[in-house]
Amino acid sequence: MPTELPYAADAEVSLSYDELDVLRRQYEKELAQSHVTVQSKFNYAWGLVKSPMREHQVEGVRLLQEIYRAEPGRRRECLYYLALGHYKMGNYEEARRFNSLLREKEPTNMQASSLEQLIDDRVKREGYIGMALVGGAAAIGTILLAGLIRRARK
Amino acid sequence: MASSSTKKKREPRVALDNLAEGPSRSSSGTLDVVSKAILAPFTHRKHDSNKIFSDLAPAIMTPRMMNAAATVSSKSRPSLGPSGTSRVDFATLGRAPSRFTLGSRRITSRDLQIVEATEELLHEEVPEPEGVAQNVSLLRGFNATIPSSEKSRTRRRQTRSVETPRLSLKKLSLGARGMLGEDDEHEGESVASEEDMVVVGRSETRGRKLKAKRRGRQSLSAGKVLGKDELVRQTHEIERDKENLHVRRTLISAEIAEITHKIEALDAIRNKLEQDLLKLQEDELELDDELEGVKERLELEESTSRPPKSPTQQAHLPQSSRRRKGPAFLPSEHDELPPGVAFMSLSGHTAPITALDFSEPYGTLVSASQEDSQPRVWDLLTGEEIGRLRGHRGSVKCIQVEDQVCLTGGEDTTVRLWDLRKVDEDEEWETSEILSLSDVAEEDESVAEDGPKVQRDREPDGKAIRQSGTSEPERSGACTRVLEGHSKAVSALYFEEDCLVTGAADKTMRQWDLQTGQCVMTMDILWAISHPPTVGPGGPIPNYLFSGAAASAGTFAVPTPPFADGTWDMYRDFVGAVQFWGYALMSGSGDGAVRMWDMRTGQPHRTLLGHTGPVTCLQFDELHAISGSLDKSIRIWDLRTGGIFETLKYDHAVTALQFDTRKIVAATGENGIKIYNRTSMQHSTLLTNGHTRPVEKLRYMDRYLVSGGRDSVVKIWAL
Repeated sequence: MPTELPYAADAEVSLSYDELDVLRRQYEKELAQSHVTVQSKFNYAWGLVKSPMREHQVEGVRLLQEIYRAEPGRRRECLYYLALGHYKMGNYEEARRFNSLLREKEPTNMQASSLEQLIDDRVKREGYIGMALVGGAAAIGTILLAGLIRRARK
Repeated sequence: MASSSTKKKREPRVALDNLAEGPSRSSSGTLDVVSKAILAPFTHRKHDSNKIFSDLAPAIMTPRMMNAAATVSSKSRPSLGPSGTSRVDFATLGRAPSRFTLGSRRITSRDLQIVEATEELLHEEVPEPEGVAQNVSLLRGFNATIPSSEKSRTRRRQTRSVETPRLSLKKLSLGARGMLGEDDEHEGESVASEEDMVVVGRSETRGRKLKAKRRGRQSLSAGKVLGKDELVRQTHEIERDKENLHVRRTLISAEIAEITHKIEALDAIRNKLEQDLLKLQEDELELDDELEGVKERLELEESTSRPPKSPTQQAHLPQSSRRRKGPAFLPSEHDELPPGVAFMSLSGHTAPITALDFSEPYGTLVSASQEDSQPRVWDLLTGEEIGRLRGHRGSVKCIQVEDQVCLTGGEDTTVRLWDLRKVDEDEEWETSEILSLSDVAEEDESVAEDGPKVQRDREPDGKAIRQSGTSEPERSGACTRVLEGHSKAVSALYFEEDCLVTGAADKTMRQWDLQTGQCVMTMDILWAISHPPTVGPGGPIPNYLFSGAAASAGTFAVPTPPFADGTWDMYRDFVGAVQFWGYALMSGSGDGAVRMWDMRTGQPHRTLLGHTGPVTCLQFDELHAISGSLDKSIRIWDLRTGGIFETLKYDHAVTALQFDTRKIVAATGENGIKIYNRTSMQHSTLLTNGHTRPVEKLRYMDRYLVSGGRDSVVKIWAL
């Protein structure tokens, strides 16, 4: 039975501040009682990952990692969420690794394959940017070089 | 433009790159090849290539660019380091500007933590989801429990809110609670004014209200029309909400189940810890006993090292073996014996064992059986019979052994004192007698039997020999003294140093001095029964004693309840057991009462009632007295209050017991020996290699237990 997972676009939609606050309170309350249910931890972590702020995403991924470690039954889903979290943060390497592990387990999962696609696209895009940068730097360098040589000859 | 210029640049650089080609990368794709080719100098000969660049164009390689290159590689390294390969490719370069533009962002420890954990996590197993995880995915749970799931409900409630004239409900409720609501009144009014202006349908409702006066009030819901779409939407929302509720319920049930498991596990741990605590208590009691034993030993060794004051003081250990609490001296091999196993069996008797006692573990054992007037003496180290005690004319019913001194009481109403060192001599004489039997023809009995010093048993075939007569004065025999005085069978005895107390079927107890061999005092139990120390009815026997007490008026004979093998006897021992300490004497008798006597006056000062059958065995220490009886129970009495501390019930009559601070060992009419742990209140049974018929008598010292049963075998156990 394929796991129910959200599309990556869902991760871009963030919760309102109040909602996130409610989730945070729930999580902290349970933490104070020293019995944190998996669901509330996940709720908070997912809310954090959806937020646009980098610190939140980092914290969210950290919580997801804790869930991964603690609950073997939930690991498969966590693979996806971790991949998504890393994808949002920009750690495409990790994202790809988690996602590929998930695809090994569940080859038919649509969300996983779409996430893989997204990761590849992003990596390529950044690669092009990088190439453009290097090229631009090289171009500027050549121009300056040519100018200096001309000046030197004169 | 950028790509063409890069291509122009590629040729001269490729020459450099070939030198600088690093380890082959496994990745493929044009992007990666290009990035490898161009960035190789950055990674490997960073310093060299930078130097080349700086020579060529000092203006280009500004510190800024250098920083960019450096920071790019350093920034990427922490995040990608653990993955093993430092892939500085275009992608990371591409990220550099975005990072710069976003401002200085510090890499926190959290980032590192995350990334480092990835490696470890990826290697962990990912099992199939099952149970809750399969039924309710995390996402569904999320959607079911986030606050926005409540939104639809509140929205629906709002759609149902009906515009009504301001009722100032809040003021009413506050007034009901007894709070002042003046401010709210103000607010209510001002808001009301606004509401009046905003609400559109107000006039309508007012109008309707007027009409209603004539037709009766219409319900609130009739005034509102929601529309079909709205209603359909609401039905969908409600269904979704119900699903959410179902999801939440599943989640909570799973949590409850998990917590129940945890509680059970913790309970199990707690029980185990409590048991450990009990075990420690037991060990503490054992150590207390050991301490006492060591103290005694200290005194003894000190007294032996000092010059002796009188010969008698040195002769024996300060306390009799019955009261010694400390551990005994055992051969080292005894520790290796598995506990609870009978490792030695002494067979030789032909009838059920009636009494036994031993001097010390691996010392000397004396045991007697029914229909045999000669108790046998065994050496416990070898398991061999050393000899027999000849002298009694009826079966021996009670024995006590202290070092080399042995006292036996028998059915022939006499009590005999034996020196166990002399038992070997008797054997020698016995064998020599057999040889000369043929010589005996006409010679008959008439061997001097009386006289306290010499006893020679008269065999039915008349083994009285001329030799015995001639050597009479030289042979002393093992028996050193005969005590006569009772008129019926002696069934219980207890001695300590020079004082002996015996109980007999004539319902009296006698106190003897062993030095002189004279009876010092006689205590009449029958008289004590009819004259109880507490004020009560005179002559007739009090009716709180069981009916068998009526039998105590005449000859006492009570049938025992059947043992485990179905057999039963007639129990005739009116005095089942005696023990004394100093001047305090305790007796257990056939009327079921345990009496405490003062030996100075010979009067009983306390009677412990509770048993409904004759008391067969008894022992007491400073705190408790424990008695067993034919009523299949063992009672533990508290000596300070005189009340029953505990009663242990068994399936058959109890015939023997012994206890210490930690356990009670009892013979309860079964093949196995019952051990009751007093700290943990657990029962256990010794069965391995045990008796084949019910156990009758037992005695233990430290971890060495000797038991005798109706199968005529004496077994020795390691506890």
